[in-house]
Amino acid sequence: MNAAAHSQDRIKHAFLWPAFLIVLLISLFPLIYALSVSFQTMRLVPPTPPRFVGVSNYADVLVSARFWGSVWTTAIIVFASVALQYVIGFALALALHHNVPGAALYRVTFLLPMFLAPVCVALIARMIFHPVVGPVNDLFTFLGAPNIPFLTQPKLALAVLVTIEVWQWTPFVVLLMLAGLQGLPAEVFEAARVDNIPAWRRFRDITFPMLLPLSVAVVFIRLIEGFKIIDTVFVLTGGGPGTSTETVTLYAYNEGFKKFNIGMTSALSFVFLVVIILFGTVYLAAAQRLTRKYA
Amino acid sequence: MENRSYRALGLFFSLFWLFLCLFPLWWVFVTAFKPPLAVSQGATYLPFIDFQPTLQAFRDAFSGQRGDFLNPILSSVYVSITATALSVFLGSMAAYALVRFEFRVRLLSGVIFGIVAIGGFILLTSVYGMRVPYALVIVLVVGLPVAILANRLPLPGPVMTNQDVTFWFVSQRMFPPIVSAFAIFLLYSESNKVGLRLLDSFPGLVLAYTAFGLPFAIWLMRDFFQTVPIEVEEAAQVDDIGRMRIFFQIVLPMAKPGLVATAMIVLAFIWNEFLFALLLTSSKWQTLPILLAGQNSSRGDEWWAISVATLISIVPMIVVAAILGRMMRSGLLSGSIK
Repeated sequence: MNAAAHSQDRIKHAFLWPAFLIVLLISLFPLIYALSVSFQTMRLVPPTPPRFVGVSNYADVLVSARFWGSVWTTAIIVFASVALQYVIGFALALALHHNVPGAALYRVTFLLPMFLAPVCVALIARMIFHPVVGPVNDLFTFLGAPNIPFLTQPKLALAVLVTIEVWQWTPFVVLLMLAGLQGLPAEVFEAARVDNIPAWRRFRDITFPMLLPLSVAVVFIRLIEGFKIIDTVFVLTGGGPGTSTETVTLYAYNEGFKKFNIGMTSALSFVFLVVIILFGTVYLAAAQRLTRKYA
Repeated sequence: MENRSYRALGLFFSLFWLFLCLFPLWWVFVTAFKPPLAVSQGATYLPFIDFQPTLQAFRDAFSGQRGDFLNPILSSVYVSITATALSVFLGSMAAYALVRFEFRVRLLSGVIFGIVAIGGFILLTSVYGMRVPYALVIVLVVGLPVAILANRLPLPGPVMTNQDVTFWFVSQRMFPPIVSAFAIFLLYSESNKVGLRLLDSFPGLVLAYTAFGLPFAIWLMRDFFQTVPIEVEEAAQVDDIGRMRIFFQIVLPMAKPGLVATAMIVLAFIWNEFLFALLLTSSKWQTLPILLAGQNSSRGDEWWAISVATLISIVPMIVVAAILGRMMRSGLLSGSIK
């Protein structure tokens, strides 16, 4: 190897290291600090000197009814909305793939919701579901139904949150499933058409199994992203009424910035992290079995 | 026959969804032009028929009488453009390195780094009572060279390759952001105490958002670089042109559509981001989403004013979606799902 080639080999570090250092500095190092904080009592207001308390923060989190309530709320919102996103998104992708009239128009419009700030979407939803001035209740009144207090009843507020999530994130499923559909080999479908296999069975026996790996990935991304939900809830209900729509991230925020209980928030976020990792591992293992069975 | 009924169903469903997508946007658009009475007296739908449109809400917003609008908009613009530019630039360099060069990292040297970093950090802060930011700098300066040297040694254990490095970057996005956002908040407030102002500051916010955008940028740009033919680069290498020049003058221009698409996606994420901004800013550098989140409590039912603020946040993203939608039609994004 000559000298020039050798130096060129070294230059790869100049390409990779800036990005590596920034991510290391910003995501890994704070984590180490937060981990050490999670074993201490630490309060900002009133400022108390940190004291090592072992796992007592973790114990507090695990016995807290409010924590498990927030886990339950998050799970309901995420699983309900991702299921709906997947079904609706796949159906829309199929329609677009088969070139329904005006497909070019739908494409940009269908993408739009996922580029809006969740905060904006929640504000718009507040307007639309407003008990007095909102169009949804206007429609209900027109149909002769009573006005419905969407945002002040726990179950309805949850339903509105699921609706918002579906509205905003179905486009993501459409985008990826459409790309997947376009990547399928056309010959298989030609053959199926020649053999006169009905459309429903073509979908069940060819399209769906072939797109199963992609579906697994899309649902996984949406679930992981969904668990992070805070902004929509923050604006729409603030976690209320009571704490009935409080998600895990919002609970952690409230604990840290309303009660200034730093140690507890750190412990809480690590418990959440462990739950996510466990869930992800189980999901991926189950998904692998499922795809193998179909393949 | 059967096919036609499916098509009709598909069309009906698409039209229905189109309506659902557009109605809320129409609603916020017309509400911004409504006079107060047209909002508070129940739902009104069509301008000129249901109500007389007015620009009053826009004038109020920009006159600055009703709270500061302009400052959050400007800080959102500065922060998101700077952080997007940085993460796309650094991200494409890293992605290029991951596509064209071979990296070998021993798992054991990573473990050594972790032990030196965590152990050293706890030792310095708890036993010697050192301030957190200083302790971090010291463990970083000591830990990294130790890990790099360890990587040279023929240590046992698995060796990680480019795939694993990429996965490490992307996996940063799988963590619930409250974990890192809260941790960054703690770190920044410590560094504020020793005089390095990161909390509620431009550098602090840009740094956090660059780290936030980098995993996306690396993941997307890696796919784009994989489609750039290597022959051109090899020809340039034969002519003894340096790697840096090859990258900036040949590879980057060829990957321009990919750069634009990646920048749009990263920009959208940063422009809309809420949690980091909520934790890391307090007054001076508040971004648009934080301003919006406060609207409802500070303005109550003044929906015309809230709609104006919402529109300001939405309009740039409509442009972004339109650009990406055009790119999607040309099949550009279909490569990045693999």
